[in-house]
Amino acid sequence: MTEQKKVAVIDTKAGNLFSLFACLRRIDLEPVLVKNSTELEQQDFSAMVIPGQGRFGTVMNNLRKNQLEQAIKDWYLQGKNIVGICVGMQIFFESSEEDDGIQGLSLLAGKVTRLNSPKQPMVGWCDLKSELAFYKQKTVYFVNSFAVKESQQVIANAEYGEEFVAAIQIGSLTAFQFHPEKSGQQGEEVLKQCLI
Amino acid sequence: MSNIKNGLKPRVIVCLDVANGRVVKGVNFKGLKDMGDPVELALEYQRQGADEIVFLDIKATLENRANALETVTQVAKSLSIPFTVGGGLNSYQDVSDFLNAGADKVALNSAAVKNPELINQISQGFGAQCVVVAVDLDKQNNGSYKVFINGGHKETNLDAFAWLHEVQQRGAGEVLLTAMHKDGTGSGFDNDLMKRIASDLSIQVIASGGAAAPYHFVETFEAGSDAALAAGMFHRGEYSVQQVKQELLQNNIEVRVC
Repeated sequence: MTEQKKVAVIDTKAGNLFSLFACLRRIDLEPVLVKNSTELEQQDFSAMVIPGQGRFGTVMNNLRKNQLEQAIKDWYLQGKNIVGICVGMQIFFESSEEDDGIQGLSLLAGKVTRLNSPKQPMVGWCDLKSELAFYKQKTVYFVNSFAVKESQQVIANAEYGEEFVAAIQIGSLTAFQFHPEKSGQQGEEVLKQCLI
Repeated sequence: MSNIKNGLKPRVIVCLDVANGRVVKGVNFKGLKDMGDPVELALEYQRQGADEIVFLDIKATLENRANALETVTQVAKSLSIPFTVGGGLNSYQDVSDFLNAGADKVALNSAAVKNPELINQISQGFGAQCVVVAVDLDKQNNGSYKVFINGGHKETNLDAFAWLHEVQQRGAGEVLLTAMHKDGTGSGFDNDLMKRIASDLSIQVIASGGAAAPYHFVETFEAGSDAALAAGMFHRGEYSVQQVKQELLQNNIEVRVC
């Protein structure tokens, strides 16, 4: 048996990470909770995951408090593998209507705005629209009230009342508005594709 | 006509009654070694294409609390689809314990009626997306609906529609409506009720009570339900989730196929 790859799961202190950890273990990765920048340097991680729990402002404030903002930016700029989920995707942009006045990581151009959906929060399964064959076939699970409507880095869209960005990709960064860890086998395939 | 609502797929939810770490209502289908094992059963329904699994009547009493939490953890580790736990959750601490044990959402019923502020607290603490308020309703002779609590045993003075609006306003992410007058009848969901509530509320509504055939899911999704839940028809081995979804697809209702 080969040794399992270690994945750094950033502790945003904004919600329950049980599902994400369970999913990463099911696909034979070893998730390690990372609470600050020092912990990130102490081990050899093959990838970083920013989890999708909590609100934009809480996540950004907690990252700043624990010197993780710069650590994430450095990780990204060094071209290391990084995955964001839900709010963990949204923080890569500049700001969010969920918490006005709090700046995101601003590594990508764009704003997170309220999703103009028939029911809020959006809860449920939705098809991805994508030109990439890998994503086009997928039906995945969303839980959100906010979304990015336009991004240069879009690789998949979804629609609930209006179209929004479901996945982005640039360099070593891949991020999802949906929750691959709750999206059945197809979700596991999505995470495997970017983490293994 | 397709009933697809701007892209979101109606969900087929399977409900299991669990007590003392065992599935307690008659489950009877082929191919499973242990019909009472919640992990094995939940995985079987996931394999059949269930969009979500709900554990109700977890009987999270003080004596077997640790047992119930352990069951939830075992199931949550294995499942890759959303997992809701309800029944016997009475306080913020209860909810916190079950979410930490691995549940994605909690269903509050009697506790929400007895202490409505609990809905606000949980919604603020953990997010609206993990709060499902379950409401047991019984249709009266005059056509009105009464809210019951304590597993349908105790009548309240609440007006059903006023209560549902209050629940939404307090921060619930979804409501699960069980039509007691339909439960066990096998005559399908109360779709007049679902139609009214689905258009009345701005959160998702889950239909429950009365399903006995795949076509009942078609009817309730056409009425506007965002999701529908059944137990007995699946547990008795009469129909699989796959068969329900085939029926839905044949009626141009776009559901998830996995």
